[in-house]
Amino acid sequence: MSETLFPQSSTLGQPVPRYEGRAKVTGEARYASDVRLARTAHAYLHMSAIARGTIEAFDLAAARAVPGVIDILTHETIGDQIRQTPAIYQGGYISDSRRPLGSAEIANWGQPIAVVVAETFEAAREAAHRIDVTYKLHPSLAAGMNSPSATTQTLEPMTIGVGDFDAAYAAAPVKVEAHYSTPAQHQNPMEQFATQCVWESDRLTVHEPSQYVNNVKFGLAEQLGIGAERIRVISTYVGGAFGAKGFLTQRTALVAIAARRIGRPVKLVATREQGFTVSGYRAETRHHVQLGADSEGRLSALRHEGWELTSRGDAVAMGAVSMTARLYACPNISARVNTVATDRSTPGFMRAPGEMPYAFALETALDELAHTLDMDPIELRRVNDTRTEPVGGLPYTSRSLMRCFDEAAAAFDWKRRTSQPGSMRDGDWLVGWGCATAFYPTYAGNSAARVRLSANGRVHVSSAGHELGQGMYTMMAQVAAEELGVPVERVTVSLGDTDLPPAIVAGGSSSTASVAPAIMAACDAIRRRLGVDGASPAEIMPAMEASGIGVIEEFAETRPHGVPPDSMKGLYRGKTFPVGGVHLPDRVQFALGAQFVEVRIHALTHEIRVPRAVGAFAAGRIINPRTVHGQFVGGMIWGISSALHEHTEIDDRNASYINANLADYLLPVNADIIDVKAIMVPEEDRLVNRAGVKGVGEIGVVGVAAAISNAVFHATGRRLRDLPIRLEHVM
Amino acid sequence: MTLRVNGSTHAVELDARTTLLDALREHIGLTGSKKGCDHGQCGACTVLIDGSRELSCLTLAVSSQQREVTTIEGLARPDGDLHPMQQAFIDHDAFQCGYCTPGQILSAIGCVSEGHADTPAGIREYMSGNICRCAAYPNIVAAVMQARDQMAGG
Repeated sequence: MSETLFPQSSTLGQPVPRYEGRAKVTGEARYASDVRLARTAHAYLHMSAIARGTIEAFDLAAARAVPGVIDILTHETIGDQIRQTPAIYQGGYISDSRRPLGSAEIANWGQPIAVVVAETFEAAREAAHRIDVTYKLHPSLAAGMNSPSATTQTLEPMTIGVGDFDAAYAAAPVKVEAHYSTPAQHQNPMEQFATQCVWESDRLTVHEPSQYVNNVKFGLAEQLGIGAERIRVISTYVGGAFGAKGFLTQRTALVAIAARRIGRPVKLVATREQGFTVSGYRAETRHHVQLGADSEGRLSALRHEGWELTSRGDAVAMGAVSMTARLYACPNISARVNTVATDRSTPGFMRAPGEMPYAFALETALDELAHTLDMDPIELRRVNDTRTEPVGGLPYTSRSLMRCFDEAAAAFDWKRRTSQPGSMRDGDWLVGWGCATAFYPTYAGNSAARVRLSANGRVHVSSAGHELGQGMYTMMAQVAAEELGVPVERVTVSLGDTDLPPAIVAGGSSSTASVAPAIMAACDAIRRRLGVDGASPAEIMPAMEASGIGVIEEFAETRPHGVPPDSMKGLYRGKTFPVGGVHLPDRVQFALGAQFVEVRIHALTHEIRVPRAVGAFAAGRIINPRTVHGQFVGGMIWGISSALHEHTEIDDRNASYINANLADYLLPVNADIIDVKAIMVPEEDRLVNRAGVKGVGEIGVVGVAAAISNAVFHATGRRLRDLPIRLEHVM
Repeated sequence: MTLRVNGSTHAVELDARTTLLDALREHIGLTGSKKGCDHGQCGACTVLIDGSRELSCLTLAVSSQQREVTTIEGLARPDGDLHPMQQAFIDHDAFQCGYCTPGQILSAIGCVSEGHADTPAGIREYMSGNICRCAAYPNIVAAVMQARDQMAGG
């Protein structure tokens, strides 16, 4: 197998330690709120305390009286300084369609309604708490999906119909039908939502952690009504993002306006609680799944309908039936997606945004089918494995699903499993083993990069891609080192700055797949300059020496397969998004994997533990097994967390978040995690992109929740179809 | 007031409500200590005070006077050699985004010096006050074990 893979190299595929490792262990890495600007004033947000209504009056007297207060921004004081602009879902930039401090209207709990600016953080905080607001309450849909008068809307473009589902389901000898649900969850990156803005004459610099600096730049220009060339956004390091920092939020324009009003730099660090409504989140979902199969387990009918909570202002849906309908061979499919509009802040993206909840539903239903058939769940996946997706008949560019199942099953020692629920009890511990498929679409988008080669063998790579912790600095250095035949230690990298060549949003597991080809193309241009087009890496430096040239710098932009040519201008306007997965005319492209978990439930205390998890993933070429391993393992722990820990709890009276802090919003800590093993299954796919990379940031999350619920069933005989699964559910 | 941080004395004028974390970050200019929650729930702000790990967001700056504060910036030797715990975090790739890392490293040093690092289970338990949202937990345990042996040997 290995001889068919990309050629072995000295750099690519090697576990090179992190480029920025020393900076991160010494405290030298400067995150947005670490940047020190002279004469900085501090901002503090005041958030709405009701679900829906109107601000009748502000009493700001006590706040203004706090020593050190400089300015207070409300919808009354800033007027029309911030323009109404379309949301990202409407072709714009901002993560929801509400104009920041746009009016007296309250659309959700936790909406920023005032900003205090003061000499110190302490004064700003005190004054923000002294703001008194008189609200006029309006009837609200505060009970989320349970709100009786919430409007449900079917998203017709997401509807899928193949064959005749109803007839096939009616005729199927074996059937499974069930409803599933997943809760609201929040990304909670360790770094809070910070923004620093400084104006120098008419030029604005923004320091803000971002997955897409050019989105912030162009969106802010639109909001402020100024030329984008006057704005620079810098995000050198990001303290975790997970989708929360993908797009412009309301806070940035507020800090920019505040800094302009007082003529000083202004720094905002939203509190952890405020962060729950500053950006988007994973909204509640519900699912209805019906599976029909023959006695051998071959699917004849598959139906998956999803419901997703959204805000009244923005119909946002992740809609991953587009993927669950295409995973397995099945001639009769019906799938659709609905939004349920309520009085909550607009949802957004959270690591494996649609894939996590929709995979939970489908992969749990498949386990129910396997149990009904008395069939090994791996074998159920095998008889339904396919080389073409069943909706449009398009080929997978590559698909190593069963190899992942076989490798993970061997590592897990699955053959020792006895299928009867409750049959593997170990003393006081009920033991269950479960598995599920992991999938994530392979995306990429337009990106640009600049590469500079010096005669002394030093290389500098620059691109406005982003380091979120996935290892972007390291991997981009490896790509350039490989292409130009220099040691990786000779390569320096700049990322996360709008002054650099623009790149795609760091989302959809697409960064490496998008930016690596741009670096490769820039290296091609260097070869052409040297007159050694097509030369091997080893020939580059000798050619450079022979040329007598001191420095060569080349720029390149790349457009992945399936992206229309006229989209390239979007790259230069902060509008480049991931393309691929199921959205190509001629093929589908996915990374695939298999998740296995052991669950132990104590018979007396009902404590639920996951002592071990094994995942095997085939995701094309692995640039750096060290950083990729971190992505897989981290993703799998996110999966454990999605099943057992995370649940944003909501007060039905005012749609407030009850547990908006890191003590009550449960996240895994070190003691929760014992043995998590990630296997990288070799896979070559030369079609997906020039780098052969499928993306690894999100797939690790997908399927774990189903594997856990399947293991809980195996341990207890109880099928739990609603996340999270807590000890009170297994009593 | 004066604060002793990493062996240096800093004279600062502070609000009585200023936390040690904000004093370090906003007034002394040592931004290695991170704010993740400001409520003592995440551990990102962990520093050593007189050698013991403490949450600097729950410690008032005024109450830190006459005590020796060590932050992430004070761990490497002046010649640039990293503390064994810093090197172990690099060697085991015990971080991704890096934001919780300063707190993890200082907490890990405390964990070892308290004698709670004898076993992987002990490390997991006594490192559970430091959340890593990237979930580098298995690598953090491996790093603490490596540094524990070096700290004992050195």
